[in-house]
Amino acid sequence: MNAPMVGSGLCSAVGIGYRAVLAAWTRANLDRFDVLEITVDHCIGGSKSTHSAIFDLVGTVPLLAHGIGLSIGTDIPLDLAYLDKVAAVVERLQAPAYSEHLAFTKVPGRDLANLLPVPKTEAVAEQIIAKVRTVQARIPVPFLLENITYLFEWPDSDMSDAEFINLICRETGAGLLLDVENLYLNSRNHGFDPRAFLDALPADLVQEIHVAGGVTVRENFLERPFFADTHSHPVPDGALDLLDHVLERHRPATIVLERDDRLDAVDEILDDVARIRARIAARHCESANRYASVGSTG
Amino acid sequence: MRLLDRQVRLLDYLTSSDAIFGDEEDAAPDSALKGMDPRLLRLEARFSYEKRMEKIIAVFPKTCRLLGAERAAMVRAFVKAYPPTDITRIKNARQFYDFLRSWWQRQPPDLPYLEDVAACELAIARAHVSFEAPHDKPLNGTEPPRDGIRRHPDVVLLRCAYNIRPVVEGDDVEDIAVTKRDTPLAIAIPPAEQHPKVFELSPPVFDVLAALDDWTNRSELGATSEVDEFISELAQYGLIEARG
Repeated sequence: MNAPMVGSGLCSAVGIGYRAVLAAWTRANLDRFDVLEITVDHCIGGSKSTHSAIFDLVGTVPLLAHGIGLSIGTDIPLDLAYLDKVAAVVERLQAPAYSEHLAFTKVPGRDLANLLPVPKTEAVAEQIIAKVRTVQARIPVPFLLENITYLFEWPDSDMSDAEFINLICRETGAGLLLDVENLYLNSRNHGFDPRAFLDALPADLVQEIHVAGGVTVRENFLERPFFADTHSHPVPDGALDLLDHVLERHRPATIVLERDDRLDAVDEILDDVARIRARIAARHCESANRYASVGSTG
Repeated sequence: MRLLDRQVRLLDYLTSSDAIFGDEEDAAPDSALKGMDPRLLRLEARFSYEKRMEKIIAVFPKTCRLLGAERAAMVRAFVKAYPPTDITRIKNARQFYDFLRSWWQRQPPDLPYLEDVAACELAIARAHVSFEAPHDKPLNGTEPPRDGIRRHPDVVLLRCAYNIRPVVEGDDVEDIAVTKRDTPLAIAIPPAEQHPKVFELSPPVFDVLAALDDWTNRSELGATSEVDEFISELAQYGLIEARG
């Protein structure tokens, strides 16, 4: 397959997750994005008009392939027919990689349609490693796993988030789609240092990035507010600060803004894209200055 | 216990009314979930439930508005009776409709026309899903004969006991007076349009469309210019397919 190179230079390509309700707006603003991320499931089970709107984009802008329906963490064999459909979509999109969530969403007969964590143990990692290999054998582009946001933990988890991800990625060669917002929310909800998580990842493991903005949830049955990944609001500055830290150690090919709610606030989307670009530019200025000063002392 | 068994028990709990509505606040979740924070499980359950209900309300906007004071109790009963089995809007809507029908069999709605409103809203969603389905969908597998006509495969026929079109098409649904009369409807998407329209049909036309499941030679309807005009008009509204 002749996949286009995306963000292969020093600068990450910046774009948004394609949403059907914003199809016309996205086309009208295509020059503002280096890349669009397509949800492969919308090309499998979606509507005729969604299919044609998405596939019409092929060749006009680089497209990434992202999945939500694999449920790789469910303790049953992968749905190979589904994977073959994904492979066909990835090929048609000419996507350079395929990403999915390190999570489960369903069990036979029940579909929560929400990403849930799996126990972070070596035994579960081994099951997922085998499934990642199956995905890699059927889909001929690099496979990336995405870290999710989670509210609860399995009590038998005995590995950190970073240890769990590193083990699976090291054994399979899969890359990481780092959702910076998920990391930011998890660190606030569960009280850990997100920079320690990032520092524990091998250099250049992060190949793609997601950013988004969520909301604070207050319920009378909760002791404290919780932060939810609703993809509904501008990216918080704290998440962009974390992005700066990521860019110090990793060179992700793409950074994608996810937005799924309050989609009429398109100015916020464009503003977020500009804020991400500004962070990348500042990072490059900093690197250039560092190299310049090294050169001047030499 | 196998991981799958624990995952099944977790999803059972997260889709239960105990978790979603906090019905038994002090009750511990399933023993298989021991060690998990029940408050966070409730929050997870609430998030998933809200996303599911958004899909359902998107299909039944008028029905949900007209459920009135009973709505909260009905939704709780729905959650208990119909856990989510599929991510799609139409399948969740179908579950809600099946629930409404069984609920109303035991306890008819305060607004007697509400069953027709719900049926019509589901029919609109079905017509749209059928229209947007990526593949051709013959009513059966037969090839279209020359001069063949059939009901358009995306059309949904519905026979209502009340004239509920003003409710389905209007905005101030609470103020609309609905009359009881046999109302044969067809939900179709006319050529070059993208969204379903509700057509009221005369009973004979409804019966003709209902009979046109399969390709039929148009001469079977008669060979007059009136028949040609009739077929042409139905095709113009997206109600039938005609091969010339």
